[in-house]
Amino acid sequence: MFARDLAEPYPSIGMDDAALEAAHAMARDHLPGIVVCEPDGRPTRILPGSEVLRFAIPPYVQDDEGLARVIGQRGVERLMGQLHGRTVRELLPEHPQGALAMCGPEDTLLEVAVVMARTHSPLVAVVEHDRLVGCVTLPRLLDALLALA
Amino acid sequence: MAVIAIAVFATVYVLLATERVHRVKAALGGAGLLLAAGVVDFEDAFHSPETGVAWEVLFLLVGMMVIVGILRQTGVFEYVAIRAVKRAGGRPFRVLVQLVLITALASAGLDNVTTILLIAPVTLLVCDRIGVPPVPFLIAEVMASNIGGTATLIGDPPNIIIASRGDLTFNDFLVHVTPVVVVLVVALIGLCRVMFRSAFRFDPKRAAELADLDEREAITDRGLLLRASLVLTAVLVGFVLSPAIGYAPAVVALLGAGVLVLASGLGPRDYLADVEAPTLLFFAGLFVMVGALIKVGAIDRLAEWATVATGGSAQTATFVLLGTSAVLSAVIDNIPYVATMAPLVDALSRETGNPDSVLWWALALGADLGGNATVIGASANVVMLGIAERNGHRIGFWQFARYGSIVTLVTVLLCVPYLWLRYFAFA
Repeated sequence: MFARDLAEPYPSIGMDDAALEAAHAMARDHLPGIVVCEPDGRPTRILPGSEVLRFAIPPYVQDDEGLARVIGQRGVERLMGQLHGRTVRELLPEHPQGALAMCGPEDTLLEVAVVMARTHSPLVAVVEHDRLVGCVTLPRLLDALLALA
Repeated sequence: MAVIAIAVFATVYVLLATERVHRVKAALGGAGLLLAAGVVDFEDAFHSPETGVAWEVLFLLVGMMVIVGILRQTGVFEYVAIRAVKRAGGRPFRVLVQLVLITALASAGLDNVTTILLIAPVTLLVCDRIGVPPVPFLIAEVMASNIGGTATLIGDPPNIIIASRGDLTFNDFLVHVTPVVVVLVVALIGLCRVMFRSAFRFDPKRAAELADLDEREAITDRGLLLRASLVLTAVLVGFVLSPAIGYAPAVVALLGAGVLVLASGLGPRDYLADVEAPTLLFFAGLFVMVGALIKVGAIDRLAEWATVATGGSAQTATFVLLGTSAVLSAVIDNIPYVATMAPLVDALSRETGNPDSVLWWALALGADLGGNATVIGASANVVMLGIAERNGHRIGFWQFARYGSIVTLVTVLLCVPYLWLRYFAFA
């Protein structure tokens, strides 16, 4: 079995699209992340949902969990409001650490698993000729791996 | 041997000043070289009260680190800060005054870096709510922390070294240093009013948002808070009664830490979270290196030279020490500076008489206050800068120095009449 067999159709979003649009897409379709494409259509990054949260929640709250309890409902609205007017590009780390969560359609299950483990990404984009074929999600990959056990 | 000791010491100082290698590596490397070369032996390094590691300093630090580490997990600091800010009605200058007072007070009892780690996130939250730039508030706090830390024996690591070498008690600091620190904190607030005047724009709508913050939610474990508060109070009382009960501050702190560890029910990961092994090892390495200088007679020679240079006058020595310490501590870490200067001041004390330990107070005030002048003057400054930058507020070296040099100059100048009036004019 290869990556192509496990890949599901998956939505993508442009680098310069609105950050809120990406967040809404993830919330609406219960996606752990979303594939990000350059203006020429090349998929180059994965935007995990956790990165959206990391952007919306200021580092000082992340540093001091006690403050998370102190901030009221209006405070949460204000934090999420920070996504207004932002682009997907702004949400992504400027210098991605490590490899990107992508593989080729002919990659084996284990190769896909290695990419997922190494990048800590819940999904791996399957890319062929600079175009997105689909994505392998963690549940689908585990399903396939456990079936072999 | 003297040449080796001085050469190793000077090399390590250059490494520390230029930050070419990590400070622990530099200090332990230097200590290792001196031991290997036979400049100091096992007895000199570990058993001698004159040249050896000052164990009471290390264990006082360990004890306080454990107590503070447990106390900070209770959320009490966030509770106090937010409550005070709410009481200020969201008016920016009043908020700054509250935060400066809390920071100065906390720094007198806690390590400065810990205080900044606790106060900075709350400050960023509050400034975001009331719609003011956080940088002036953060700068004011770190300066309050360095000033407040000067007030007590446990407020700043250099004071612990000074107390150990000068045989000074917790109460000595309360009597001789705390009064002037109170004046300095007031002066800092006045300076902030002028230096940061453009940051105090009051927006009633934004200020009203403070009401949404529920400080009671910050308290994670009321039982633990109660136990930790009781132990901290007992430890502070123990410090005050230290000479009467015959327990050194290090013993009081260790007993407090032990009791709190047992009473907290926390695991080692939690109660040891704030014990900074690198800082303790850095201290140990420094003590061995300074011990080598003492053993080869370099410190005595330097003290003789200093005595001649100051004409054997305690008054001249006091003000030279205050000024020199402030200038040098602005550019080098005040911990190695004080570790080096302490035996020198000890020797100088014998030559000049040192009325009421004034030379020690000059060293403490100069070294602690000098840390405010530049970003690299104190560890707390560097930590604050890092927090600000992570939250999108970059503070440049010269931006900090512009305010820091003013605060250092004014606070050190204020110490001059204090020291003169108290120890010389009417002595």
